[in-house]
Amino acid sequence: MIRSSLRRLATVAIAVLGLGAAAAAPLTAADALKVAYSDWPGWVAFDIAIQKGWYKEAGVDVEFVWMEYVPSMEAFQAGKVDAVTVTNGDQLVMGAAGKSSKAILINDISFGNDMIVAKAGITSIKDLKGKKIGLELGFVEHLMLLKALEANGMTEADVTLVNVPTNDTPQTLASGGVDAIGAWQPNSGAALKSVPGSKAIYTSKDVPGLIYDVVAVSTESLGTRKAEWANFVAVWPKIVAFIQDPKTKDEAVKIMAARVNVPAAEYGLLLPGTKFFDTAMAKKAFMPTEGLDSVLGSSKVANAFNLANKVYEAKIDPAAFLDASLVQALP
Amino acid sequence: MTDVPNESISSRLAKLKSQPVVLGIDNLGKTYPRPDGSTTTALAKVSFSVHRREFMTVIGPSGCGKSSLIRILAGLEDATSGQMLLDGKPDSGPCPDRGMVFQGYTLFPWLTVLKNVMFGLKMGGMGFDQARSEALQWIDLVGLTKFADVYPHQLSGGMKQRVAIARALANKPRILLMDEPFGALDAQTRAQMQAYLLQIWQNVNLTVLFITHDLDEAIYLADRIAVLGAPTPDIPHGHLQEIIDVPLARPRTPEQFTSEPFLATKRRIEGLIHKRVVPTMVEPLPMIKLTQVGDEVV
Amino acid sequence: MAERWFAVRRDLSPRRQTLLTVGAFVLPLLVWCVISYVPFVWHPLITVTNPGGSSFLAKDMMIDRGMFAAENAKVVAEGKPAAEGYRSNPVFLPPPHAVGRALYTAFLTPPVRKGEPWLHESLWHSLTIIFWGFTAAAIIGVPIGVLCGTFDFFAKLTEPFVDFIRYMPAPAFGALMVAVCGINDGPKIAIIFIGTFFQLVLVVANTTRQTDRALLEAAQTLGAKGRHLVLHVVLPGILPNLYNDLRILLGWAWTYLIVAELIGASSGISYFINQQGKYRNYDNVFAGIIMIGMIGLITDQVLAILGRVLFPWQGKPPGKLGKIILACVGLFRRKKVAV
Repeated sequence: MIRSSLRRLATVAIAVLGLGAAAAAPLTAADALKVAYSDWPGWVAFDIAIQKGWYKEAGVDVEFVWMEYVPSMEAFQAGKVDAVTVTNGDQLVMGAAGKSSKAILINDISFGNDMIVAKAGITSIKDLKGKKIGLELGFVEHLMLLKALEANGMTEADVTLVNVPTNDTPQTLASGGVDAIGAWQPNSGAALKSVPGSKAIYTSKDVPGLIYDVVAVSTESLGTRKAEWANFVAVWPKIVAFIQDPKTKDEAVKIMAARVNVPAAEYGLLLPGTKFFDTAMAKKAFMPTEGLDSVLGSSKVANAFNLANKVYEAKIDPAAFLDASLVQALP
Repeated sequence: MTDVPNESISSRLAKLKSQPVVLGIDNLGKTYPRPDGSTTTALAKVSFSVHRREFMTVIGPSGCGKSSLIRILAGLEDATSGQMLLDGKPDSGPCPDRGMVFQGYTLFPWLTVLKNVMFGLKMGGMGFDQARSEALQWIDLVGLTKFADVYPHQLSGGMKQRVAIARALANKPRILLMDEPFGALDAQTRAQMQAYLLQIWQNVNLTVLFITHDLDEAIYLADRIAVLGAPTPDIPHGHLQEIIDVPLARPRTPEQFTSEPFLATKRRIEGLIHKRVVPTMVEPLPMIKLTQVGDEVV
Repeated sequence: MAERWFAVRRDLSPRRQTLLTVGAFVLPLLVWCVISYVPFVWHPLITVTNPGGSSFLAKDMMIDRGMFAAENAKVVAEGKPAAEGYRSNPVFLPPPHAVGRALYTAFLTPPVRKGEPWLHESLWHSLTIIFWGFTAAAIIGVPIGVLCGTFDFFAKLTEPFVDFIRYMPAPAFGALMVAVCGINDGPKIAIIFIGTFFQLVLVVANTTRQTDRALLEAAQTLGAKGRHLVLHVVLPGILPNLYNDLRILLGWAWTYLIVAELIGASSGISYFINQQGKYRNYDNVFAGIIMIGMIGLITDQVLAILGRVLFPWQGKPPGKLGKIILACVGLFRRKKVAV
């Protein structure tokens, strides 16, 4: 006890002196695979396999670490975890910042859970002309809004964007400071619930494939421990089947709801907004085609968006961030 | 009133002056820099000596530099000219050989009476047990044995100052410097403290230099009085005017306050202090007719 | 003569003090109750119970009162049945009984998820984070602060830089701290440390500077020099104020907890609050906030009483609880005290 306490003190002291880099030991092969995951239905689904012990059965030692989304990306970039659950767009952002990684698994695509929610009286994207929209600039909702405007013959110049952290969007819409917000679940649902008469006027269901949710593994870890990652990937189809089988669906929702600490009935409503990918769908989406039907096509759209919005300026190759081999090897 | 022959008083003073000098003050001066780069001289060319077993008071109007003088003697400030000699040797800096009692008591609030008195002894490297038994003797001397384990905040002003005296004496100083020590006390306590102090001085082998602005106090306590003068147009700084022998017998009694030698000494000092005071123009106060105020009230 | 309620710089009687202290808690609670339970106070929304003939309204929907009235007028004009509903407050303000229930059930409900900590375990975890972050800051910060307050050399050497860095938002160091200290408790403790350390150095330095100069001079005339002046005069002299400084800074540590616990692996009471807020379970959010408030208040009061026991020379009565503590440590203290 005392010794661990002293060690903590020492850690802090070292951190403050800025000598910490030396203390940051690299992850070694003997450790479990460390995966940081966060609050999104496609990733909360991992809890089913965790609770059921399926990874142990598959002979792979995986340690899942529950984090907030942005901190999980930071931990991954700092090399503190081997893999992180992210959107394909954000994977590129990390890549542009110098963290090379490979998406080895597609969990899902957003299928309605990302929304543009407008206050009462605004019923379509066209009504947004000249209005204020609150969303987190440079994130996926921004991209989705641009797609929505494009589909309606409009551009970003037709609206005023206000940068609002996604967690704060419900309150922002409720305060009346903006006319619409862009957010993903549970924030989008909260906005709908708490702002009277509000309506989702555009969702990711209108542009399926714009946002892929993936597991990104650091290139080093994948290179040195590929067999273990193959076992990791092989568990995923079992999870999807468990969620989709009517017999086990309720149990699946119960486990997932427990992860985020909400009543199961409430959580069940979120699932239709996420389209889980089974092996066949993932194999197809990993094909190097153009357009939103493939991760690569989607990533190219995201890359163009990121460059246009100066999220990053580095020239990167979206294809270098994918490794389909583990999924393609699945039966 | 006891009628003491004059010769016995003057022979006592003569004997006193033949004692060795404990504290020599040699052309002491203090100059302070001012923000505009010029300097102010608080005190200049002060010279006098305090002999062994002598009780000397220093008196003067405000601005005469008596505070600067005692702070220099205590070592809390450096003189800008001249020097001080302790037992004939040049000395400076704070030192337990020149004990000090301040007007503001300055007891350590976190220490009990006993621990306060032990402080200097422990600083001098004395062991706990010896320091404790010595401190208890000094506490007994100032009559506070019952209060040894009490914190200062529980004591009255007079008791605090007795502790401060015991604390300074515990170090067995060559000279005890006292900076208006009774200035913050009420008249009755002050009179008591003066009596206490004289008793202690009588019982202990002690030399005292005592600063005050109270004429009665200065005369009542002292063998000799150094009268300092405030700056005047002729002498633009604090300076020593005169050293006066007090023609009163010891032990002192309250009756002496009304004796002729006492009153004569007082008149003499008053004459010295007020001699150069130039009357200044004062704005006339507005006249208020009491009847008018009265009318309003009625 | 009757005691006056408003007397400039005069203490009220103990009975009135207690009365006001209780009132300080009861009054806000009363306001909260009125807003929550009196339907015509605030309640800006209507919760729909029966959408009637409206195609726009839905059951359990919360809608602005004006919009509800307008919609109803339209529906009635079309000859369809009117919608029904009751006035309610936004979900952001749960009523007291819901929060009370949340507080009560939060501790009794076992975690739904296997391996998840109970709420009291989360709270305990948060307390350890605060403890280590704050203790480290105090152990390193207090000596530096005392040195700065005592020696101008150290003040000029460190204070300008500390003054500069203390304006930097501690949470912004989150990513760096993860890179340095990993993803578990390390970065959280580090954030608490950074958030309190620099303030602490400056506050302690200032407190040290308030050491009574006269006491230093007195000590010097008694033969104290250098190191002894610092150890036997400066330190004991500032101790009660230092103790109060640390009490106030401990409160700062709590304000940093809420960001610290969202760095790295999510944990503790502020993760609970954050997670419940995301899903708009504001009764649980309020329960969490109240728990932090209560822990803060209780620790502060205990420390205040302890302070009176530790520093008896300040002449503040230790109170009933303090006397009990005093009795417990009485023998122990007597042996320990030294000059």
